[in-house]
Amino acid sequence: MTTPPPLPNERFTFGPLPSGHSPASLIEALLKYPGQIIHELQFNWRSALTIWFMIFAVAGMALYGLVVGSFAGGAQFWIAPAKLALGTVLSVLICLPSLYIFACLSGIDAHLRTVTGVFFASVGLGALLLVGFAPVAWIFSQSSDSVPFMGALHLTLWAIGIHFGLRLIKGMSQLLTGRIGTQLRLWTLIFIVVCLQMTTALRPIIAPGKTFFPTEKKFFIDNWFESLSGGAKRN
Amino acid sequence: MIARIHALLQGDAVSQRRWLAQPDARAFCANLLFIIVGAGIYGFTLGIWRAPLQSVFTALKFPLLILLTCSGNAVINGMLAQLLGSGLSFKQTSLAILMSFAIAAIILAGFAPITLFVWYNAPPLASQNAILGHSIMLLMHVFVIAFAGIMANRRLLHLLENMSGHVATARAVFFSWLAGNLFLGAQLAWNLRPFIGSPRLAVQFLRHDPLRGNFYEAVWRALWHLFH
Repeated sequence: MTTPPPLPNERFTFGPLPSGHSPASLIEALLKYPGQIIHELQFNWRSALTIWFMIFAVAGMALYGLVVGSFAGGAQFWIAPAKLALGTVLSVLICLPSLYIFACLSGIDAHLRTVTGVFFASVGLGALLLVGFAPVAWIFSQSSDSVPFMGALHLTLWAIGIHFGLRLIKGMSQLLTGRIGTQLRLWTLIFIVVCLQMTTALRPIIAPGKTFFPTEKKFFIDNWFESLSGGAKRN
Repeated sequence: MIARIHALLQGDAVSQRRWLAQPDARAFCANLLFIIVGAGIYGFTLGIWRAPLQSVFTALKFPLLILLTCSGNAVINGMLAQLLGSGLSFKQTSLAILMSFAIAAIILAGFAPITLFVWYNAPPLASQNAILGHSIMLLMHVFVIAFAGIMANRRLLHLLENMSGHVATARAVFFSWLAGNLFLGAQLAWNLRPFIGSPRLAVQFLRHDPLRGNFYEAVWRALWHLFH
């Protein structure tokens, strides 16, 4: 008796990835069959997979950074992509150890390399979604003069992207334990806070600044309130 | 062509499934044609109260607005459809969305004689009641466009339910598309203004600085002024 093919609606249908991995087929699998990605990273790990997901994450964020930089133009055309790509890599590096620890605490029997791969796949998927949102963001970056509005828009689009991206981490937990532990939910919150703080640590990203990195230390909530009350405009 | 219009308006599940199963250039061209012609005809009636030239401009801009919204959201709509488990490819999502806009455009074209009749009876720009005429035209177009939009989206939801086989999945995909299209569409409509044409402003294809300002900030400012 043959097993029927998985229904497309079953999002986390875990199974081996079809052979022959091109970047396009990996992107398709990330979007349509993320369960196969997680399965492959756990049971048939190859460094090439993780490297591709890392490239998707960095290149995707850099591409979206071009749209972010188009708001102010000039030097922000290269500063924004560089900062977004750098911020993504730094956020992943900062949160990877805690993800591995929290995964172990959740009872997930995963290798560090699997956790690393799934993490990059998550961030890569978020970045790909941002690339999909790029035309929308570009229209607004050309139309609006308000830095707080653009900041809120970019954060909203990023939140949608990372919401879908982080489902892969939950999928890994489902594959290996059959449930999503509280520890992983807590880690998700930590990762989001780190990313938000990274946008403040690497500011200014949307509007041009006097120095490449900020000279004053600040928490992201402080920074948001200051931006909102100042009503900063495009130069 | 008439059979295709019939199937679109009726929400003929068999025909629509067949078109979506193998999306070909013919299906894309037919829907593009419906949008360009249907929205163009209705666009003509949108601008006619202000001036004949405005109606020509709006006849060109109204289909353009729909096509820019579709193309601006094409990639993200395709990604969301796949992520949410609809099983639809990029081509299929683009065709499904074009089909829904084509339905709206056909409905709008059907309303064109009625809107022309209302325009014929509305106080003209040169009269003392010009503001009343403008308000009547504005409200009528809002209702007609809203009706066409609701009907087209109902058809799209049914189509998605048929294609995915899951009501929850279809609704998730539908509402994500709807939110994205409304969000971008509102801004693009702001950039491409004027459509009806203000009685006090000159007839123009686009305002002097079409990319200046955004729809949501304007709404925010209007609410601010209202309550302060």
